[in-house]
Amino acid sequence: MSWLAGGDDRQSIIQQLPALAEPYGKLYQALWAQPHLPPAVLELCRLRLAQLHGSEVEWRRREVTLAPGEAQALDRWESSELYDENLRACLAFTEVYAMDAQALTDAHADNVKSYYGEAGLVFLVEALGILDGMTRLSLLWQLRVQEEDS
Amino acid sequence: MSDAPRAANSATSTGNMIRDSALGLVPETLDAYMDLNRRIWKAGPLRPAELEIARLRNARTVNCVFCKSVRYDLARMDGLDESRVEMIDDDYARSDLSEREKLILAYTDQYLVDPAAIDDALKSSLLELFSVAELIHLSLAVAHFNGFSRCAVALGGMPETLPIMEISLPD
Repeated sequence: MSWLAGGDDRQSIIQQLPALAEPYGKLYQALWAQPHLPPAVLELCRLRLAQLHGSEVEWRRREVTLAPGEAQALDRWESSELYDENLRACLAFTEVYAMDAQALTDAHADNVKSYYGEAGLVFLVEALGILDGMTRLSLLWQLRVQEEDS
Repeated sequence: MSDAPRAANSATSTGNMIRDSALGLVPETLDAYMDLNRRIWKAGPLRPAELEIARLRNARTVNCVFCKSVRYDLARMDGLDESRVEMIDDDYARSDLSEREKLILAYTDQYLVDPAAIDDALKSSLLELFSVAELIHLSLAVAHFNGFSRCAVALGGMPETLPIMEISLPD
């Protein structure tokens, strides 16, 4: 049980503040229903953030069904044959974003834009902010893995 | 940090700084993003001055020049003048900020630096001085501020410095 609000999952905690839970929920859902970046690409970026932060809760969460082995190979995404160059561009961007957004280069951005355009880059940056935020809150709130997730 | 913007601003000119920014290139999330931003400032239990303290602490840590230069008018009207803003530095623990304000900064730092390492002393202090709703509000606010400032940094085109600018909450 989280120290904060007597719940073990993100949703039940956020719902204790309905005035923010509703707009937050709408924004989060919108991430997975936009035309700029395939949901599976976004999900793999989210999972890479979970790996880098060491968040078991977020690692076990699934927003999108992935192809077999795709998640498991994420820690060797640079060499795995499971990933296309477009996905590698997004994962490279995600990794640097997670460590220090100031360290991102024009080349990182250009690589993402070459596959997904300017709107795709802007969406990825916006989404990473939300997904990284939820990963940090899972850690800060000390959420635990739910039985059905394990 | 890149001198040149990595994405163009939206083609719109609504006068709304967020809608007219590069974020306007993604209309599918824009309204929800704007609504969340408004409600963070106006619909939660924390006062604007308390939220502004967290926002500015994040801005300094991320080094978002734009975010550092902005002052929300509603926070100033709530009593956060520049003399108090200056206390939001690394020596804040010895400042004249209130215990609540110092805890807001400690929680913000914990989020930014090492969220998994929050200790029992900080948790206990937070639960003593804040309601659960206030802590959820603070958590979502810090996550939102951090995402926005890192977005601004990641998209490049940030100047070296900017003067302090008082702004109103975008509609």
